[in-house]
Amino acid sequence: MSLHAPKSTFTAGLVTALPIALGYFPIAFSFGVAATRAGLTGLEAFGLSLIIYAGAAQFLALALITGGAPVLVSAFTLVAMNIRHVLYGPALIKRVGPDARTKHAWAWAFGLTDEVFGAALGALARGKVVFSEAFMFGLGLAAYGSWLSGTALGAFAGGAALQNYPVIDAALGFMLPALFLALLLSILSKLQLPVIAVAMAATVAVTLAWSGTAGILAGMVAGAVSGLLVRRNDAA
Amino acid sequence: MRLEILTLALIVGACTWAFRFFPTKADLSGIKPDGVLARFLASTGPAAIATLFVASVLPMMKGGVPLPLGIGTASVLAVYAAARSVVMATLAGSVGYGLAVWLL
Repeated sequence: MSLHAPKSTFTAGLVTALPIALGYFPIAFSFGVAATRAGLTGLEAFGLSLIIYAGAAQFLALALITGGAPVLVSAFTLVAMNIRHVLYGPALIKRVGPDARTKHAWAWAFGLTDEVFGAALGALARGKVVFSEAFMFGLGLAAYGSWLSGTALGAFAGGAALQNYPVIDAALGFMLPALFLALLLSILSKLQLPVIAVAMAATVAVTLAWSGTAGILAGMVAGAVSGLLVRRNDAA
Repeated sequence: MRLEILTLALIVGACTWAFRFFPTKADLSGIKPDGVLARFLASTGPAAIATLFVASVLPMMKGGVPLPLGIGTASVLAVYAAARSVVMATLAGSVGYGLAVWLL
């Protein structure tokens, strides 16, 4: 895309967020249902989505809260789980280059979840958008709105909402893996195949040997590091 | 809202926001285009998304790869190959998975 192409608008961000919004709503609905099933009030379920806004961490929070873990222990576990997000901002800004403006990043970066990062990177890689803070606001706001409305509806529906609909429950449960796979396909390149293979293998190995959280961190770091090594060997 | 849940949400929410925001302010101007850090950051996206895909399907794979997972995955691959659309591929994967659970 030309360096002089117009910057993508807030509306373009909303449109790019459509698959995320479609994917987030049922997952957030499931979270609302699970939270009320675990004994949280609707307000508490909504509060977790409003303030934390990190899906996997929120589901783990339910397990920690209902398991009676001390607040500080729970907080440390969940913070450690989310530390992977430190990689997203620099990766995105580096992809955009010197034109990247971050004046209002204190606001739009709140919404820089796994999926928003993946969608932004994919759209930039395909040349479909030109980075702007308005675009990031649109992308983030649609995803956040979907997450909050899904949580609210799930909490309102209550803990038994999906018990009589196992097929729908199963289909909704596969929405997030399907979204990750589609995002992966959208940024796939031959050069990154070794990165993807190493990241997947490391995730499986460390998850089986230790824990899911450790597996996620290991997969991301091992994959990114392998990208360095493969390219260095190619150049040699 | 119970105080311990609000406290937990505020601590985790504040740290998560800090993880997402402060790195966007990192000065990347000194990074060489083909340098080590530039290559690391370029690989971060594919590595992160591949990791999250695996992490999300691993809990479904106890005792092997169930047929619904295979059909759901194949649906995503087929529809993305045909339509090049993240939306359509995501929906197709979910529908394929749900249909497989229903029929099997």
